[in-house]
Parts: sequence; structure tokens; C-alpha cells
Amino acid sequence: MNDSRVKINTTQAVVIIVNYMLGAGILTLPRTTSSAVGTPDVWISILLSGLIVTGIGLILVTLCRRFPEKTVFQFTREITGRWIAYILGCVTILYFMIISAFEIRVMADVTGMYLLERTPTWAIVMVFMWIGIYMISGGLGVIIRVFEIILPITLIIFVMEILLSNQLFEISNLRPVLGEGIMPVLKGLKPSLLSYTGYEVMLVITAYMQDPKKSNKAMTWGLTISTMVYLITVVMVVGSLSLDGIKTRTWPTLDLVRSFEIQGLIFERFESLLLVIWIMQIFSTFAITHYCASVGIRDLFRAKKIRWIMYALLPFIYLTAMMPKTVFETFALGDMLGNVSVVLFAILPLVLLLISIIRKKGGKRA
Amino acid sequence: MISFRMCLRVTCAVFILCIISGCWSSREIEDLSLYVGLGIDVGKETDFEKKISAQGGHYPKQNNVTATVQIAPGNSSSQKSQQSGSPSSGKESYSNEQLTGDSMLQIFRQFALRRDRPLIGHHLKVIVISKDIAKKYGLIQLLDFVLRDNDIRPNCLVLISHQRAVDVLTSDDPSRIPAFYLTGITNNAYISNKILEPVSLAKLDAQMQSGSSFLLQNVLNANGEDKFSGGSIFAANTTKFLGELSQTDLEALSWLMPKKQGGVIKTYSKEGFTVLYEIKKKKIKIIPKVNGDDISFHVKAESEGWLMEDWRAPEEEEKGAYLKEMENDFAELVEQQIKQLLYKLQHTYKVDVAGFRDSIRIKYPKTWKKVKGNWDEIFATIPITYEVKTSITNPGSSTE
Repeated sequence: MNDSRVKINTTQAVVIIVNYMLGAGILTLPRTTSSAVGTPDVWISILLSGLIVTGIGLILVTLCRRFPEKTVFQFTREITGRWIAYILGCVTILYFMIISAFEIRVMADVTGMYLLERTPTWAIVMVFMWIGIYMISGGLGVIIRVFEIILPITLIIFVMEILLSNQLFEISNLRPVLGEGIMPVLKGLKPSLLSYTGYEVMLVITAYMQDPKKSNKAMTWGLTISTMVYLITVVMVVGSLSLDGIKTRTWPTLDLVRSFEIQGLIFERFESLLLVIWIMQIFSTFAITHYCASVGIRDLFRAKKIRWIMYALLPFIYLTAMMPKTVFETFALGDMLGNVSVVLFAILPLVLLLISIIRKKGGKRA
Repeated sequence: MISFRMCLRVTCAVFILCIISGCWSSREIEDLSLYVGLGIDVGKETDFEKKISAQGGHYPKQNNVTATVQIAPGNSSSQKSQQSGSPSSGKESYSNEQLTGDSMLQIFRQFALRRDRPLIGHHLKVIVISKDIAKKYGLIQLLDFVLRDNDIRPNCLVLISHQRAVDVLTSDDPSRIPAFYLTGITNNAYISNKILEPVSLAKLDAQMQSGSSFLLQNVLNANGEDKFSGGSIFAANTTKFLGELSQTDLEALSWLMPKKQGGVIKTYSKEGFTVLYEIKKKKIKIIPKVNGDDISFHVKAESEGWLMEDWRAPEEEEKGAYLKEMENDFAELVEQQIKQLLYKLQHTYKVDVAGFRDSIRIKYPKTWKKVKGNWDEIFATIPITYEVKTSITNPGSSTE
């Protein structure tokens, strides 16, 4: 467990950010954003919120760089004092735990619906969590190695599959551009901002970076890649199924892939492949949040053995995942998480940064 | 101690190996009934059902809908089902099973009481809905289960039958599976402009949700053979059957739809000989004009094509003037057809199924917002002008 000695380079930081960000959200993203926007300008909302999140992310890493080698759980204490730091730390840990529970739940729901209809949920979740704990107990080094394998495979196959739907694509579904002005685009900002949660991983990861100076570069690249993936998804889903067509679909991204068959290309139907591939991506989100929550507890309470913390968290994550009774409650949980993340990781870092500058805490800008 | 840990590890490894190679909820494909076609008809109990209910084997239901599922491959046994592909011996390529009830899913589950192999919908290719049931219930009601189901894929096609859907799903040729046959015909849409662009469940759902009236392909049936002819119009809000367009109307419609390709125009020369023109390239522009509250459309259609058949005898060389004359004849014929179609759409049925809505939605989004609510009514009063230009670029392989 020489966890703190693992150093990661910039590319690896990018890989972690992207792997965290791309999770279960992409399966419902086209529906949530387009129902808020109401015009085919959804893609502009996605693009715009990508830019906004980059700004927020840069503030976040600026904060982290003032405290080299320290995670958010360690340096908040220096800025705000002990008690507030405990409260903030606990909330952050809780957030990471609930996110990992949420990802598991969505994964279980989708697999139960389209892949393994008669397999009990606990059996799917159990395997998932066990493999997760096996990986994260190896520490950050192992996590990164696995992520570096997962990311290119999932991204290439996902984008290819989405692009295969071009036979359904009709440009008139995306027109008119800004037909009702800019207002609908602004209305869509909130749900699309929520889909960008995941950059907060830098609060923990920056501490392990070889060269923390490059953390803003890592942030920018990570967000660019995620934005591109979101953009391609939304453009293809809205362009193929049309705005009215996705209004009532529970999992629009999956339905896009279910809406065509290609003869003579090894597979005729791609939804199973997409799900299997995307489950890896959900797995990586689950694993990194589980890991972050464990690191949080370790750093906040100055514990020694992170492995025990990880095992102890398992039942809590499982119980949280099983809490939503219906799929509607699951979606509601997702929305709530998004809202919390905006407060916790968009507004708070700015406040912390300002306080730390005023109180002259932390080192000079690294 | 070490040997104990070793033991534990080996046990674990063996245990995991045993589990990993298994599959939790696998079902053998041989033990399932794949249904490839689904027919929806007005409720009419089959003989079998009547006899069963005479014995008391019924459950509370209204006989509103009769569902026909086409299972492929059919039964291999000597046991004959009522509507089978081949009445003779051997393995049948498909079998049709019918049940009546008032809920689609309940009907489907009812099959579990009759057949040893459960139905699965992953490979449903085509849904045929009879005209009569579509008059009674909206498509949004009839297809609600199909759209919600997690097995049925949204790329399944939807067709409308003139008579009973079960007849369309029955063929005299035992080697032919009607569901596949129908999907095959739909794929010919690129070669004939009398076939509508295939409408899948995904597209249909979008159309029903958008609150626009829409068209679906009609299938006729005679002597155990199917033929595509014309289309059915469905009303915007009720999604019920409203009326029909003929083959010729569909041809005319293709001149209003930019995506539609292919097709021929037949006219008679002055002497009464048949002359045929095959459309190779087509460019269609629908130009909406908004002036205050007045909306109007202008359709500009240009086509390039080959003169593929000329019955003129004695043959003469096709020279400029003659070709020009033919070009005008073709254009006139098309305009005639469009005129008839527009009359039907604007006066008989008062629906816009020709996609005029899209052009105004894209060009004038603000006006569209105002007229969206009762577009079909407004459409009926909108003046539409059109000009058609056909040019003959090639006489085919023979110049005579």
C-alpha cells in the first residue's frame, strides 16, 4: 500500500478524468437535455456547457495547485479550519459514495432490461462490486493501468457504433438552428452541465500528479474529449430519432442503436455490444468514485489502512444502490447528485480559492 | 498453515471456474419461439378458441383485438396449426398463431398456456395492422405495448393491410416466410416511387409524438400473394385511419419529397404510342413564403432521366423537337398528378402528409410556432403552386 508514492503523468490524469466523466449519464443525456431545450439546438447547449465546465475546472485545479501533494480532504482544513473541513469532507465523501452507488444501479437497471432479463439484480451487482474492489485495492497505479486499457477500446467502439446510425440521420431533424433564439439553449444548460460531473476527481488526483503545473492542461484535454463524445452522441441521436422521437424513450442512446440493423458487418445488431462496452465505462466511474471515497475517509480521519476502508464501504454502497425503488427514483437520485455537485464542486472551490488567497494559505502558485 | 491457505486458494479457483463457465439465465434458442411477424386484426375468435371457451376455458376479456404471431421456423411435428405455411408434410417454414383478447401483452402471455416454447420478440421484423382495427383504435394505443417492450427493436416495420392482417401474413408458397418477404419488398423503395420510404417503429413513434398526420404503406392480398399499393393516411391527434392514397398519388407524392428517388413516368405520344421515362436524378425544393399571416408554398421540381421505352412505329430518330415535346408531356403529366394529390390532401382529407410542415418549421420557426397547433386545418387553405421540369439526358442503350 505505497499508494502515496504512485505518480501519474498528464496523459494518465486525462484518462482518469474522461473515464470518470463518461458514465451512465450518456444513456439518458439526449432525453434530459432535449426535453429541457425543446428545440433542436441541444448540441449548442452541450458545447456551451462544455466551455463553462472548462472554466470551472480550471478554477478547481488552481485551488489544488496551491497545496501540492495534498488532496482536498487534507487542505480544506488549512483553509477553513478543522470543523468546517470535517463537514465539507464528509459531504464530499458521501457524494462520491452515492455516485458510485448510482452508477451501479443504472448499470443493473439497463442490463436487467436489455441483456440479462432474468438474472437477479444482486447477482449482477455483486460481480461488478467484487471486481471493482479487486481493482481498487491495488491502488492508483493499478486503476490507471486498467483505465488506460478501457478508455481507447470503449471510446473507439462507442463512437463507431453511434456513427453507424448515419443511415437514419436526417439533417432536417437538427434544423432550424437557433430558430427560437438563444433562450431554449440557456434552458438546456442545467441538464447538460449535470452531465459533466466528474471533473471533481482532480481534487484528489492533482495531489498524485508528477507535474501539478500541467493539471490545467489535463483538465482542458479531459473536458475536450468528453465534450466531443457528448456532442457526437447528441447530434446523432437527435438527428436520427428526431426531437419528438426521443421525448418518450427511456434510454434514447440505446434506442438509437436498436433502431438499425446492418447486414454483413459481423454483427447485425449492435445494442448488446454497445452495452457490454459501455458497462466497462460505468465500471470505471464506479471504481474511481469508490476509490475517491476511500481516500477521503483515509485523509480526513488520518487512517492508516485504506484497504479496510474500501471493504467497509462496500455494504454501504450496495445498500444505497438498492434504495431507489423505481427507475423514476433512480433518475431523481441522478438529478439530485448533479445539483449537489454544482454546489460542491463549482461554487465551493471558487469560495475556497478566494479564502485561501485572502488568508494567504497554501503555497505560492505551483 | 501454508498448506491450508494453499487449499483455500485452490478451492476458490475451482469454485470460480465452475461459476464463470456457466450462464445465469440462458435459454436455448431451440426452446424459444421467435416471432418475426405480428398481425393486428379486429377481434374474431378462431374455431379453437370458441371450442375452448365452450369448455369453460376462457378468462375475463373483451374480444377487441386478434393478434397473429408468425413464428419461424414453424412446427416440425405432424401436428398441424390452423394457419400453416404448408399443409403438406415436413418442416414448415413458418406458422401463424392467433389469439383474441383486449390487451396485447395478455394475448402474448396467453400463448404460454398453449405452446411449450415461449415467445420472444427480439426478431420481430414487421407489424401488419388491418385497416378496420385502425379505424377503431389509434395506432398509439395498438402499438403502445410494442413501443414499451424491451425485446422488440424499434427498427421493426409497420404496414397497413386492406383486409385482414392474417391474410397478408399467409402465403401459398410454403418456402416463403411472409414477414421476410414483406421486409424485402419495402427495401425496393429506391427503385419505385410507388413504395413509401420504410417506416420503422422508431420513426412512427416520432411522427405520432410530433402531432402530425402521417402515411403508412398499404398491402393488398389476393390468392395468397401480397402486393404493395398506395398508402393509408392517419389523423394527427387520434392516430386513427383516415383515408387512403392510391398508387398514383404516391407517385405524385414523390415529387414533393426530396428524399424519394427512382420511378418512371408513362405518357402517350400524339399518335397514341406508349412512351416511358425513367427518373434518374431529382431535385426538389419546397419554398415556403410567409407574408404577414399568409402562408404559401411554391414547389420547384426538376428531374433528369432517360427515355427508356418508346413504342412509336415506324421508328424515327429522336430529335430535339420530339424530345422537347416529350419532356413537356412528362412534366404536364406530373403536374396533373400533383394537382390531384393536392386536391385530395387539401380538400378531401385536409391533412399534410407531404412534409410541407418541415419546410416551414425550418424556414419560419416563429410562424410555425403559431400555426403548429392546428396545422392540418391551416394547410387545407394554403395556396400551393408548383412547376415541374423534366429533361431527357439519355436515350438508353439504343438511340432509335
